[in-house]
Parts: sequence; structure tokens; C-alpha cells
Amino acid sequence: MTGLPISYGIGLAALLFLMGFAGLVIRRNTLFILMCLEIMMNAAGLAFIVAGAQWQAADGNVMFILIITVAAAEAAIGLGLLLQLQKRFRTIDIDAASEMHG
Amino acid sequence: MNDTWNQVLGALPTIFVAITILAQFLAVTIKRDPRVTHAVTVVGLNLSLLSLIGLVAFAPIAVGPLFEVDPYALFFWAVVLIAGLAGSTFARPYLAGFEDRRDEFYILLVTSVLGAMALIASRHFAGLFIGLELLSIPLYGMIAYTFRTRAALEAAFKYLILSGAASAFLLFGMALLYAASGQLTYHSLSVAAAAGLGTSSDAWLLMGVGMMLVALMFKLSLVPFHIWTPDVYEGAPAPVGAFLATVSKTAVFAVLLRFFVVSPVTDNTWLIFLIGVIAVVSMLVGNLLALRQDNVKRILGYSSIAHIGYLMTAIVAGAPLSIEAVAIYLATYVGTSLGAFGVVALVSSPFSGKDAAHIDHFRGLYYKRPVLAVSMALMMLSLAGIPLTMGFIGKFFILSVAMASGLWWLAGAIIIGSGIALFYYLRVMAVLFMDRPASARELVADAPGLRYGQFIIWLLAALTVLIGIYPSPLIWLASAAGIVIPA
Repeated sequence: MTGLPISYGIGLAALLFLMGFAGLVIRRNTLFILMCLEIMMNAAGLAFIVAGAQWQAADGNVMFILIITVAAAEAAIGLGLLLQLQKRFRTIDIDAASEMHG
Repeated sequence: MNDTWNQVLGALPTIFVAITILAQFLAVTIKRDPRVTHAVTVVGLNLSLLSLIGLVAFAPIAVGPLFEVDPYALFFWAVVLIAGLAGSTFARPYLAGFEDRRDEFYILLVTSVLGAMALIASRHFAGLFIGLELLSIPLYGMIAYTFRTRAALEAAFKYLILSGAASAFLLFGMALLYAASGQLTYHSLSVAAAAGLGTSSDAWLLMGVGMMLVALMFKLSLVPFHIWTPDVYEGAPAPVGAFLATVSKTAVFAVLLRFFVVSPVTDNTWLIFLIGVIAVVSMLVGNLLALRQDNVKRILGYSSIAHIGYLMTAIVAGAPLSIEAVAIYLATYVGTSLGAFGVVALVSSPFSGKDAAHIDHFRGLYYKRPVLAVSMALMMLSLAGIPLTMGFIGKFFILSVAMASGLWWLAGAIIIGSGIALFYYLRVMAVLFMDRPASARELVADAPGLRYGQFIIWLLAALTVLIGIYPSPLIWLASAAGIVIPA
């Protein structure tokens, strides 16, 4: 492993993570919220890949495969719920679909 | 070869649970009948419980690099399995009124139990992550199971988004720890950290532990991360609420404590102080917000925030006694929460669109269902920590740990919190014995499986009093539940 120091890779991953998190907080459209979740998950995956390359070990790559699998499962359920949300509430705006308070 | 069989032996309870899931799938493909699916669930989980007893003599067994089956894991596996059994039994009469496919609920429930078991025994980040996701992802489906009610759908979506964000935090925290140390097991991580890693790596370690804590505290709904709890508890079907409040909380707390005990990476005075502050704020906020609720499920949601706050005291204390105190507190809390949610589930059974969770639905319950009402009253007393109920035993142990470690401010907060809590628990209790209004919702006399649900409630009520009077067996079990730190 030559070239870039590890802090560059981790820094990029952190930037992606923050972008995803900011989107999650700001966006009101549930489809975009799910996309932001994906970005956050994949940022963590990238951090694992970078760290794995640094330590010359397969652990990071194994974790990445686990992360993709879980992210796919979450996205599948999230989209399923999204369809139901659209059907019952006639909107995919998260605030409009929020009825419980207190 | 010998070692391989040893590992299979250690994994036997989880193997039984996994086989249960396969058997459920088979049963569903042959004939859709909730009776059969539920029976398979009960048999499978009981077999797993039985195999735990056999395992006691062999523990601790390390199962691969990912899992450690020590007495600690066995104790919490038993708690989780019993909670899963009770949850599935409450679901039977509840789902009888649900006009759609009912069998998948049990498959989701057992899958979630398997995740909880993996989480409890994990000693490696991969095990932690798989366990947590296997626990959470079926829960999304369970919360949204009655998807035609808008509240359930909304609750599931809120839980999905926030839980997904928490998972991302957990993963990023793990990645930072891995980047700093190159290690993924809790123990080797602490060894690497103790050897010294340089200043920039130390910052990464602290950030990593911090992000993992954020994720686990979210799952435990401690105060800055508690906003989802009342909504999800209110929207979720009552049997799922019972499951969420017990299995999910127990498993996550068990892994949090194991991480803190095994990995001294977390040994940072600043971090421990912060956890103490979060514990105090959780106790106060949870109890104060519960005061102005009229929905019993929301009251239980806020009270769970406060209860986990009490539990965090043990993590701050970090004394060797704390494992025993946590084991006792969690066992008693799981018993009482199951009872309280179980009564809500049975009163709402069979499902008819909206749960009978408003406090008015419980007005005069005593004159319609005396046993359920008395059990509910006992559960409320136990949650409040009144002597002669098992809730008192748990609170007593947590308080004694706080005092033994000289954490007077935490002990004070526990006492103040319990004082506030008394008000709303007694309010629910008093309502049970008032006159039943003429407009009250009619209680259904019989639904399939209602008898079994009632039997579990009686059992839990009896246990609440028995352990309250004679706690030695539970204390003995909990004191044996030690965490094994790998050499």
C-alpha cells in the first residue's frame, strides 16, 4: 500500500457520512431520506475498506460485504413501507404523515 | 475435531432457534394455520431453553472468533427466549382479528430472537453488527404488521429511519476503531489500545467509541435519542410493544455492558461522567414526560426511558457487582414489562383497528376481568419498585451498586425519579378499580389462544410476588452470570 495516507480516505468517508446525515435531518421527502441512509451506510463501508487496506487485512472487506447486504435489506423494507405510506397517507412527506404527538 | 463439536455444542441453543425458523417456513408452505405456526414457535423456543440448562456445565465456550457463550450469555439468552415465548403467545389472540396472513408474524418474531441471541453472545464487531441488524430488521416488519392502521405504519417508518441512522453511526464508529487499531474483537481492541497507538489514533478511538455509544443509546432510547420511543410504542401493535420493550432492550444493554467490561477502551473518566449525566437526565425526563400522558402504551414508553436510565448507573459504577445488579434488574424489568404490555395486548384482543390503550379503556377493568386488572396493578407496583414486588429487588440492587461506588448524585436521582414515577403508576392502578363507564369498549369473552395469554399473565403476576418475597433463586442465578474475558 503506497500513496495516500489513511487520514485522506477516512476524511472522505467522514465527509460522505456528514452529507448523508445532514440530508437525513433536512430532507422531508421519505424517498430522499432513504437515499441519505444509503449514503451514510456506504460511507461507513468506505471507511472499512480504507482501514482494511491500511492494515493489509481482509477484515475490512468482509465488513463491507456485510454492510452492503444489510443496507440492501433495509432499503427493501424501507421502499415497501414507502409504498404503503403513499397508499394510506397519499403523501410521502414525512411531516404530513406524522400524526402522533405528545 | 473435538473443538469443532465443542463449538457446535455452544451454539446449540441458537441452532435450535434457526431450525425453528426453517420449520415455520415449512409449516407455512404446507398449510397456513396460525395454530400450527404458533405451536412450532413454542416448541422450538422451549427446546432452545432446555438446551441452555444442559449447556450450563460446559460454559464458557468460544464459538469461532465471533461469539462467546459464557454464563452471562446463557442468562440473557434465557431472558430473551422467555420474552419471545410470551410475546408470541400474546400475539395469538391479538392477531385473531387481523384479516390477512397471520403466520409470518411468528417467523419475524423468532428471527428477531435469533438476532438478540447473536447480539448477547457477540465478542467481535461483525457479531455485534449482524446481531443488531438481525434483531432490528424483523422488528420493522413486526411494527408495521397491522399496516392498514396508519399509526402502525407511521411508527414503523419512524423506527426504520432512526434505527437505520443509528446503524450507520455504529458502523462508522466501528470503522474508526478498526482504522485506529486494526482489531475487531472487543478484547484485542483493548490490548492494542493499551499498547499505545499515537495521538491521532487516540482521537479516532474516542470518536469511534462515542459514535458506537450514540447508536446503542438510541436503541436503548436514552435521553437525547429518545424521541422515537413513545410514538413507536403507541403505534406498534401491543404484542410487538411487549417484544420491543423487553427483547430489544435486554439484548442491546447486555452487549453494551459486555463491551464496557471486556474493552477498557471505554475507560475514560470524561466519557463515564457523560454517561452518568445522560443517565440522570433520562431518569428525570422519562418520568416527568410520562406524567402528562393518557395512553398506557406511551406511559410505558416513557417509563422505559427512565428504567434504562436507572440501569446506566451500573455502567457508570463499573464495579464487579454491576453485572449481577444489571442481570437482576433486567430480569425483573422484563418480567414486569411483559406483564404490563401483555395486559394491554389481551384487553385489545382480538385486533380491531385500534388498541385499547387509552387510560379510559382500563377504567373499571376490575369488574370485567378481575384477574387481568389485579395483575396489571401488581405490574404497576413492580415498575414503581414497591417492596414485596420483584421491581423492588432490582431497584434495591442498582441503588446498592450506586452507593457502594460512592455515586451519591446518581442514587439521589434514582430516588427522585422513583418518587415522580409513583404518581403515574398509581394513577393507572387507581383507574382499574373505578366505576366502569357505560360507553366503555366491550371486552371480547373469548378469542383463540386467549386462555394461553391469560395463563402467561397469571404466571408473571405470581412470579412478581414470589420473587419479591423470596428473591434468592434469582440472585443466585444472576451472581453466576459472569462475563468471561478472553485470555
